[in-house]
Amino acid sequence: MIFLELFLAYVRVGFSSFGGQSMIPLVRAEMVAHGWLTPAELADIVAIAEMTPGSFGINCATFVGLRTAGVAGAIIASVGAMFPSLTLTMVAAYFLAAFKDNPLVERGMYGIRAVCFGMIVSVVFSLAPDSYFLGGAISIPAVLIGLVALLLTVWRQMSIPKVIGICAVLGLLIG
Amino acid sequence: MSASPAPRAACSARKLATMFLVLLKIGALTFGGGWSVIAQMEQEFVKKRGYLSQEKLLDIITVGRSLPGIMIINIGVLFGHHVGGVLGGVLAAFAIAIPSIVTLCVVALFYGSVKDNAHVQRMLVGVRASVVPIVIGAALKLREGALVDKTAIVIAAVGFALCLSGRINNLLLVLAAGVAGLIIQGRRATR
Repeated sequence: MIFLELFLAYVRVGFSSFGGQSMIPLVRAEMVAHGWLTPAELADIVAIAEMTPGSFGINCATFVGLRTAGVAGAIIASVGAMFPSLTLTMVAAYFLAAFKDNPLVERGMYGIRAVCFGMIVSVVFSLAPDSYFLGGAISIPAVLIGLVALLLTVWRQMSIPKVIGICAVLGLLIG
Repeated sequence: MSASPAPRAACSARKLATMFLVLLKIGALTFGGGWSVIAQMEQEFVKKRGYLSQEKLLDIITVGRSLPGIMIINIGVLFGHHVGGVLGGVLAAFAIAIPSIVTLCVVALFYGSVKDNAHVQRMLVGVRASVVPIVIGAALKLREGALVDKTAIVIAAVGFALCLSGRINNLLLVLAAGVAGLIIQGRRATR
């Protein structure tokens, strides 16, 4: 049954993926095995995932579900991709709450919070090339828009939806 | 879970509804692989509503990123569970996912005409350019909770270098950081 297959395929993708586009090879393997997508369509999904909000994982599940079994398929595949979060992460959330006043956990978190900061800063460096180097060269409009966004978020403390909106308009004007 | 369950339940129902609606909005503006979610959660739930502390948000980000699955949904579940238990976790996960499922279904319908549209492409250049500054803004705000002393700065620098090199699994990195914290803080406590 197509719904069950879609669901299980995305549960597998979900459990074996750790973040973002690292799931592309897994998705490719599952999709090719089932004959659900061609490589060209997979490239399209990556492009669509870029232009729509949401993570690659959910976008991909929605798109493949939609193509193979309509809107119901889109929902079922997406829930499949969310399944690890709803099970494994829920258990982790329970333990995090249960041990929150344990001094040992607080000690461990000292190191974990510091590393988390390092992780977030590293994301800045890994996202920057795709945002400001377009077609192999540095994009002056993109850099200018980035500087405006930096001023608005850090200095003016503007709300993020507004910043994204302003940058979209600026992109339309000078991008 | 403790005293006076009735008023608490009423309060948490309203809190869950607010959480659901705000996360729907956040989910609709998730660009840059979900990292803008973190910045938005800092603005909406740490600063504006006080649903969680900076430290708790950092904990949630790290745990959410190191477990398998989709990072922003993991973070949603952890945050939702913090606000309202298992029900909160499920609601948060769906609130973040629903906008992207709906948008994608619509975009997929018109993909042919959207794909090569120059206006759409230019807008996306702008949206993508906004993600890095937004993440920088979030990092600056979360700095206080993470970099509490010089040792923490060293741990953060090592974590940064390892993440950037891409040679370490996130789960391993987080476990190593946890062990480092246990040892460092343990020695300080016994001193």
